[in-house]
Amino acid sequence: MTAPLVMRGVGKRYRRRWALRDCTLAIPERAIVGLAGANGAGKSTLLGLTVGLLAPTEGSLEVLGRDPRLEPEVLAGVGFVAREAPLYRSFTVGDTIRFARATNPGWDASVAGEFLTRLSAGDRVSALTAGERSRLALAVALGKRPRLVLLDEPFERLDPLAAREFLQLLMDGVSELEATVVIASHVIADIERVSDHIVLLGDGQVRLEGSAEELISTHRLLTGAARPLGRIAGVEEIVRKRSSGRQMTLLVRIDGRVVDPSWSVDEIGLEDLLLAYMAPERLPGPEAPEKGRLRWHG
Amino acid sequence: MAWVTWRQHRHQLLIGLALIVALALAALVTGLPMQTAYEREALSSCLPPAARSGCDIIVRHFQSEYGGRVDVAGYLILLPALVGMFIGAPLLARELEHGTHRFAWTQSLTRRRWLLSKTLLLALAVTLGAVILSAIVMWWRHPFDGLEGRMSPGGFEIQGVVVPAYALFALSLGVLAGAALRRSLAAMSLTLAVFVAVRLAVAELLRPRYRSPEHETMAGLVPGAHARDWVLSNSLVDAVGRHITSAREDLAILHAQQARIDPQEYLLSLGWRRALSFQPADRFWTFQLIEAGIFVALAAALLAVTVWFVRRSPS
Amino acid sequence: MIEFHLDPRSGVAPYLQIVQQVKEALRLGLLDVGDQLPTVREVVAELAINPNTVAKAYRELETGGLVEAQPGRGTFITGTLVAPSQKHHEALRRELERWLESAESAGLDEESIRAVISTTLREAFVRRVA
Repeated sequence: MTAPLVMRGVGKRYRRRWALRDCTLAIPERAIVGLAGANGAGKSTLLGLTVGLLAPTEGSLEVLGRDPRLEPEVLAGVGFVAREAPLYRSFTVGDTIRFARATNPGWDASVAGEFLTRLSAGDRVSALTAGERSRLALAVALGKRPRLVLLDEPFERLDPLAAREFLQLLMDGVSELEATVVIASHVIADIERVSDHIVLLGDGQVRLEGSAEELISTHRLLTGAARPLGRIAGVEEIVRKRSSGRQMTLLVRIDGRVVDPSWSVDEIGLEDLLLAYMAPERLPGPEAPEKGRLRWHG
Repeated sequence: MAWVTWRQHRHQLLIGLALIVALALAALVTGLPMQTAYEREALSSCLPPAARSGCDIIVRHFQSEYGGRVDVAGYLILLPALVGMFIGAPLLARELEHGTHRFAWTQSLTRRRWLLSKTLLLALAVTLGAVILSAIVMWWRHPFDGLEGRMSPGGFEIQGVVVPAYALFALSLGVLAGAALRRSLAAMSLTLAVFVAVRLAVAELLRPRYRSPEHETMAGLVPGAHARDWVLSNSLVDAVGRHITSAREDLAILHAQQARIDPQEYLLSLGWRRALSFQPADRFWTFQLIEAGIFVALAAALLAVTVWFVRRSPS
Repeated sequence: MIEFHLDPRSGVAPYLQIVQQVKEALRLGLLDVGDQLPTVREVVAELAINPNTVAKAYRELETGGLVEAQPGRGTFITGTLVAPSQKHHEALRRELERWLESAESAGLDEESIRAVISTTLREAFVRRVA
């Protein structure tokens, strides 16, 4: 069973800036991967490399087992919706579908058709709303029956209704095709709903990677009196630390149960966990009335 | 890809078609009077080096009557450049400018096949158009080809097989410029500049040398003897073969005039001769094929470079 | 057919929410043996959630003997849930009240009691699922 996407030490440099550095990951088949990170963290670069639009400066990658630059035919199994869903604006919906059919031998009109409700073939792409354009781009990406689907900031221009509809269609399509999906977004809440696997990028490097369930279950928020820190039983590593006056809050990765009575132990939600790894200052404070309440996103 | 190429370039191709139709009509309107005059005056019997009495006047009349429009036709040499600028340059530049290459290059088709299919299909259309245009010009210019030949640049470059060759070269050049510069306007400018430069270089430096020029020395100027040939140089040389500067020539003529002798006879008495270096008219097709070959080879090479460039470049 | 809803902020894992909603429907008699559950695709298209989540929920229900997946036809209810008898309820409540008295005597306030209960609850069910 080949992992749909494998990267080994991949780096991409533009002149003097490394957009992506030392990137090593392997995403599991049929996972829905949330690729998180701030703007400029390297998400678009990572997707661009995956789809062969960019060449790595160092390292190697395999998409569906093959190098997308050396064997571009592998892209027949990869559906990609680039940022802002680029389409030919002078084309009509019908032209766009015809284009997709002409350039993808494995085209399945029935799959694509499910995304095109309420659109007519004569509509010009430039006259469509952002939501309709995204749907059309998704139709093109999924109509070729890909095994791997990549989306770069798909919710960026969508109002909440359009975003929900898009996600419904995406999940439905992915379910039917049994595809693996990578959704890049700088808004964590957007992808939290569906991701079972997370890759967090920061400044071009992988800050965090793993299944959402595992990430949540291996991190805890410790609140207690400010003090010099030594070893805490059950804590494998202190990831982030924040002090304010007499109180100290720690984000820790655990390797067992934390039973130290001088610390109040809380679970941390996925969004807050990712934010903490992205920027230490964003560490959530102690929750007042809802202490002890579970926040579980799986 | 045929439909895709048509759909993305149909405006350009239709405009090109309209242009050809317009030129055909213009050729008809301006050419028919010329052809009928040619027939009426039986100019075919006046073609050099024939010297029927009265031909001189008829020919001169014909040339002054229709020479103007023939000169204007010289502007047709710009047409291949337009192919490069408006069909070739936008092909890649527009995709890269608008980011739609992230859409086009992530389908099941490889970049190489996409580029080659598009370019070759357009090349086919362009070649067809150029051949039709060339045929029209050859029909239209026939009378003047007879009188003045078609070896000189004005006649050589707008008919025959070089026209499609120039167009293909311009197309490839435009496509490469678009790939390299990624901006339509810049690519168009670069295409025009390089096209003109290469064409000039070939016309000035290479074409005179496709075959060794013929040489002829003669006493005085014989009108019409080389009317259809491409005269590369026409100079005065002394009995030993040394070139006579125009200053010396002017001096000698002045001298003759002062002495009231016929200047031409005087120059002859000095032992001075006319030395002509020329390419004979019957080499027309040879030269056409050589030049067409050069430009088609350049077009193919540029296309290969573009494919390599596009395959390895980051987007 | 049952319609699911998802509360992302409830603190309960999505797949567990689905499991709970099926069990609730069974208890209330809204679902009976032989009824078909919506297909994974139908749930996913409605809720916009991960198909693996739905699959996991259905697998858990199947392990619990409540449903059966028939390939090519769908997932059907095969078991019932016995409503816990009132008698058990009363006994359990009295036991809980006794424990609460012990906790208060030990000095725990309401917040601390809640914390202990929720932590223990969570870990107990995690153990069961794992």
